[in-house]
Amino acid sequence: MTKMLLKLSGVRTAYGNIEALKGVDLYINEGEIIALLGANGAGKTTTLASITGLVPPKSGSITFDGVDIRGTRTEELVKKGLIMVPEGRRIFPGLTVMENLKMGAYVLSDPAGVKRDLEYVLNLFPILATRSKQSGGTLSGGEQQMLAISRSLMGRPRLLLLDEPSLGLAPIVIRDILETIRKINKENRTTILLVEQNANLALMLAHRAYIMTTGLITLSGTASEFLNDENVRKAYLGG
Amino acid sequence: MSVIRQDVSLASIFWSELKSALLATLWMCLLAFPLMTLTINPTEKTFIFSLERMPYLAGGTFVLSILWRFFLKRRAFQGITKAVHQSGGLPEDLTKGPKPTWVTVVMGLRHKRLGFFLLLAFTIVLPFVSSPYTVNIMVTALIYVTLGLGLNVVVGVSGLLNLGYIAFYAIGAYTYALLNHYFGLSFWVCLPLGALTATLMGLLLGFPVIRLSGDYLAIVTLSFGEITRLVLNNLEVTRGPRGISYIKPASFFGIDLNAAPKEFLIKWLGVDPSMDINKIFTYFIILALVILTIVCVFRLENSRLGRAWLAMREDEIACQAMGINRTRAKLTAFALGSTWAGLAGVVFASHITFINPASFSFLGSILILSIVVLGGMGSIPGVILGAIVISALPEQLRFFSQYRMLLFGALMVLMMVFRPGGLIQSTRVVHIHKTKGNGQARLKALTGAPKPKTGGYS
Repeated sequence: MTKMLLKLSGVRTAYGNIEALKGVDLYINEGEIIALLGANGAGKTTTLASITGLVPPKSGSITFDGVDIRGTRTEELVKKGLIMVPEGRRIFPGLTVMENLKMGAYVLSDPAGVKRDLEYVLNLFPILATRSKQSGGTLSGGEQQMLAISRSLMGRPRLLLLDEPSLGLAPIVIRDILETIRKINKENRTTILLVEQNANLALMLAHRAYIMTTGLITLSGTASEFLNDENVRKAYLGG
Repeated sequence: MSVIRQDVSLASIFWSELKSALLATLWMCLLAFPLMTLTINPTEKTFIFSLERMPYLAGGTFVLSILWRFFLKRRAFQGITKAVHQSGGLPEDLTKGPKPTWVTVVMGLRHKRLGFFLLLAFTIVLPFVSSPYTVNIMVTALIYVTLGLGLNVVVGVSGLLNLGYIAFYAIGAYTYALLNHYFGLSFWVCLPLGALTATLMGLLLGFPVIRLSGDYLAIVTLSFGEITRLVLNNLEVTRGPRGISYIKPASFFGIDLNAAPKEFLIKWLGVDPSMDINKIFTYFIILALVILTIVCVFRLENSRLGRAWLAMREDEIACQAMGINRTRAKLTAFALGSTWAGLAGVVFASHITFINPASFSFLGSILILSIVVLGGMGSIPGVILGAIVISALPEQLRFFSQYRMLLFGALMVLMMVFRPGGLIQSTRVVHIHKTKGNGQARLKALTGAPKPKTGGYS
């Protein structure tokens, strides 16, 4: 009884004359964690940008919850619950942690619900509560990533798009964050699309995965299939 | 591995500082030599050397240079000790917020209300007890306050560098001047019209610059300012560089304030007999406008739109990821920022009664920008103080006659080195909770509700 939440078929996106996506097909069911893997320049971030409307695709179709969303403005998608944690965290450095979190609930207008969400994320990452009055720029990298994830949760995502959450973080912090992502997925049935270069870690977390090379999805399957496949291990997981 | 012995380093610092100061003196003497010593005797067509000035110049430069280096070193030293202190592993220190300075003490919460009423009383009484000269300067200063607060919305809050802000001021002023000149419309009709025109022009400028930010935006707005001035300079309707004169001052229900009311004021309040009562009226108009601006800008900053502006200033991509319509945020920032310039322009035209394009040069934009930067980006009290300092300082420095602009520049440089955040730095609204102790207690205090056992989502 799983329901398809997001479906991309034949999505082509270009920056000027350079085609970054050459017909991407993928789908995500409700409640799943999907890993999108691939090397630098494979088109992972462009795929996210195409979904969120930051870079509108040239052709193909993107449906979210059964509705065609190609060409819909980013802010409309955020209202629908399609929320991205951008690459490199991009928290608001001059605003306090609390203000950053409240900014995440910009599209919502029920104070009681926002307060409940605030409690939830501060329980998820208690360190943010002790840092609440500090400006975002003074946080460490790991704390900033926690803040970025919390901030996006404040917008009540149905589909959370995470772009390289492990980028530049210490292994122990990465493990913490990935555990929390699993927790978010379990507790709220938030569907998650995780873009990662660290394939090993992503596959431990994900239910299914896609591998991209030069603008195309070249492999897809369940996480355990990937982890047991000899060729995949050699090519992507370091033996 | 390197262990620096304190006495050696202090002595070497002293000598190196002395050497730098001497070098600076030499450089300054060479640079200022033609400026300070050479004068031409036009009748005999000869040079007059006044070398006796040089020792004063050298001595002055040397002392200033030493002082300058001392303060810089002290500042750097304080920075080091602070960093050492913080790396001592006291994360709580960071959450305590900034240390109280003279500014926060002066603006202290306890006396805020009292201070506010004193200030208000002072500004109301001021025109009745001072000279026409002071009232004139105050009107100009208050116009600059309005302009500064308006530009603060664009530059300070939204982070859009607008170098053509004076254009909107000009549009406001010309709206009144032209409507008054050709159609005889009164000040009170034109005040909202001027604001409206400026807002519309702000929108018009906003559309092409939606995609731009940073330096590119600065260049386009700069050009817009210059284009506006050139158009005003070349149009037949605006009478070109001759400008428009005999603009009517604001009227008080059609009563001539310089007749009966003036005698009353002189007799009962001891007002300066040489005072033009219309100026006092203009003073109160602009004062009311400033208060209105402060209220509006304050409300705006803490509104939903204000938060969108802040987010846009901080990070454009993240602001979109939050579901903020970047286009709308940018356009409203431009349009609403321009509104205040339009209002100020109308008051300016009625105050000065003669305007021409030369009153709206690029320097004006820079002056307003310096108000915002000097006062403190995004800080309302800062911008007010900045405007008063910028408009009053050149008057106070008249004593130094031709060197006053030089001195003004030097003061700006000093300001940026020693107080880069502005006179009164903007502080984020901080929600203070007095609870101490473990994380759970803090959490409770922050959210004001008991901690739920499971996820908060429904």
